[in-house]
Amino acid sequence: MATTALEHELKEMIIETLELEDVTPDDIDPEEPLFVDGLGLDSIDALELGLALQKRYGITLESEAESSRQHFANLRSLAALVESRRQK
Amino acid sequence: MTQQDTTKRGRMTFRELTARPWRHRPLSEDFAWLPPEGDTPARWFSVGEWHERIGAWQQHLLDTPNDGDSWWLFEPDPIEFSAALVAIWERGDRVILPADSQPETLSDRRDAGVVLGSSGLPPEEGPSTRLPSRPPRWSSGPLPTVAVSLYTSGSSGDPQRIDKRFDQLDAELATQASLWPLLGQLVVSQVSHQHIYGLLFSILRPLCEASPFSAQPCRYPETLHTWLRCCKTEGRRIVLVSAPPALSRLPEALDWQPERAALETIYSSGAPLSKDASDQVFERLGKPVHEIYGSSETGGIAWRVQQRGSAWTALPGVEVRHDEESRLWLRSSHLETSNQWQRQADLIALTDDGFELLGRADRIVKIGGKRLSLTAMDRALATLPGVERATTWTLQRRDLRLAAVIQLSPDAMPHDHRQHRETVKRLRRALAARFETPALPRYWRFVDHWPTNTQGKLSAEIRQRLFQDLDDRRAPRWLGEYAEEGAWQVSLEVPERCAYVDGHFDDHAVLPGVTLVHWTMQQARRLFALKADFTGLERLRFPQPLLPGDRFELTLRHRQDASHHGEAGASLRIDCDSRRGKHVSGRIALTARQELKR
Repeated sequence: MATTALEHELKEMIIETLELEDVTPDDIDPEEPLFVDGLGLDSIDALELGLALQKRYGITLESEAESSRQHFANLRSLAALVESRRQK
Repeated sequence: MTQQDTTKRGRMTFRELTARPWRHRPLSEDFAWLPPEGDTPARWFSVGEWHERIGAWQQHLLDTPNDGDSWWLFEPDPIEFSAALVAIWERGDRVILPADSQPETLSDRRDAGVVLGSSGLPPEEGPSTRLPSRPPRWSSGPLPTVAVSLYTSGSSGDPQRIDKRFDQLDAELATQASLWPLLGQLVVSQVSHQHIYGLLFSILRPLCEASPFSAQPCRYPETLHTWLRCCKTEGRRIVLVSAPPALSRLPEALDWQPERAALETIYSSGAPLSKDASDQVFERLGKPVHEIYGSSETGGIAWRVQQRGSAWTALPGVEVRHDEESRLWLRSSHLETSNQWQRQADLIALTDDGFELLGRADRIVKIGGKRLSLTAMDRALATLPGVERATTWTLQRRDLRLAAVIQLSPDAMPHDHRQHRETVKRLRRALAARFETPALPRYWRFVDHWPTNTQGKLSAEIRQRLFQDLDDRRAPRWLGEYAEEGAWQVSLEVPERCAYVDGHFDDHAVLPGVTLVHWTMQQARRLFALKADFTGLERLRFPQPLLPGDRFELTLRHRQDASHHGEAGASLRIDCDSRRGKHVSGRIALTARQELKR
């Protein structure tokens, strides 16, 4: 599947925000898990990512944090979250 | 529970663990708060219901063969955890708390005991909540001598077991109850109760002070926000047991103002909270953070509220002094021997109003609030295939992250972006069984020779040079250098995020030849101590471009006597090679800048 413009933007945001120095956008498979086995992100990254989403898109994660973290499963789900909830 | 009940309990309640406070609470009293989930509203779990969970665990212990009297307990659910703890104590047995559920932590264990709870090992019984509830049976037998054993990483790099007797725990719990009585407020935890701080503050304090705790850990700020709103409606106040990783990342956009009335106190421990973060929490949540300084070995040592000053105040019952090396010495009822002074690894400076922390004398660091022995990490790395030598240290980036310098054997060395990624993945995966994800090195430098200064040390300057490209997007990734027969060979990589890489996000990103010449000149100036005003006239060939992530060797030969076009001067012979072939070859005639101007 092709990568959408938003997905590409999110890839760049992830790389910059989390300072993934050796990762290029092409390395992030939209379907691959962002956390642990895939891109290898961790709990600290999850918090950083939440803040970045808020700053960039004005998205305040919903209170049922567990389910909002499901949006972080992979890039595609993250893009869907931004698509549906962005304020800016 | 009604508002009136809360008020009635408005005086300090405290019962020591040795007085078995779990037996003495009215069965109808609120034991734990089950937070709202989806459409399910919050509800209270009573002491009576909890007693039945103790009974469930008692039966489970009876049904589980164990030759000794030790039980390894890893159980994330606070209700189940506390029930299991009491069930084990009531048997007169000892609880061992592994720091994490990493498979190797549990399989490496040298102490006897049966593993219980949702551990990393395959659970025989499924989740512990499935154990059928049944009434508890209170025994007349004595409590065990050791209440809990915890594991930490010692300075030697091997995990150390720390045994806590009931009197040690009771001394701490009594101190905390007298300084900051819980008074029936709801304890909400953002930390693991497998560690001493979480164990004391989020499980044992509520138990001894007859206050409820949340039945779920509060992992995210959004959750805290919802729970505060919920408690505000109920007229209940929250005591937040937190740590720097959570407190330093409170989103600004959440509107805390209307909800923060429900917040009573904030605790933080695990690592010092930065002043900025502390101020930010105070501004957003309206309550100051009470920081507790201590360790698994020492228990609580001191506390502070940074809005009142940066110095730490020793907890009641704790005496503090330092030696000529600034090492902290402690005498405390929280220690194993309460009447002896013991030297600690922390360095302190005494001040008028307490003491300041100056850092640690050993190689223990805290990442994401968890202690990590860098010695253990170095050793673990050095045993991995292809790794000849390894060292790690922390970089102050996005809090604290681990940097690793790894000397690899020639056949294990990555030469391009893809191989680099695979090598990092391979090493991280190999470490994942022993270390938690945030503790894994994040910034990797693969070297073929150990990078040192002329004294043979991987000095601060060398470290800085290895990671210079993190801050300077125009710099190459420097991976070491050595001199050979009048030439310098420098190992470099093209950073993926290098500012000079053209078409960074296109399919065909390359490093322009002009950048390579620029980098070459920079290295040459440093290595041959060329005057900064030297510049070059190039006679170079660029057979093929370098790609982001490419590893390459730059060979530099400086010749003083060379002469071109009849001009006396110096020249630089440069060759740049990677596994894919040659990228630059040729000569640069070095010319003083003034001469060029003429």
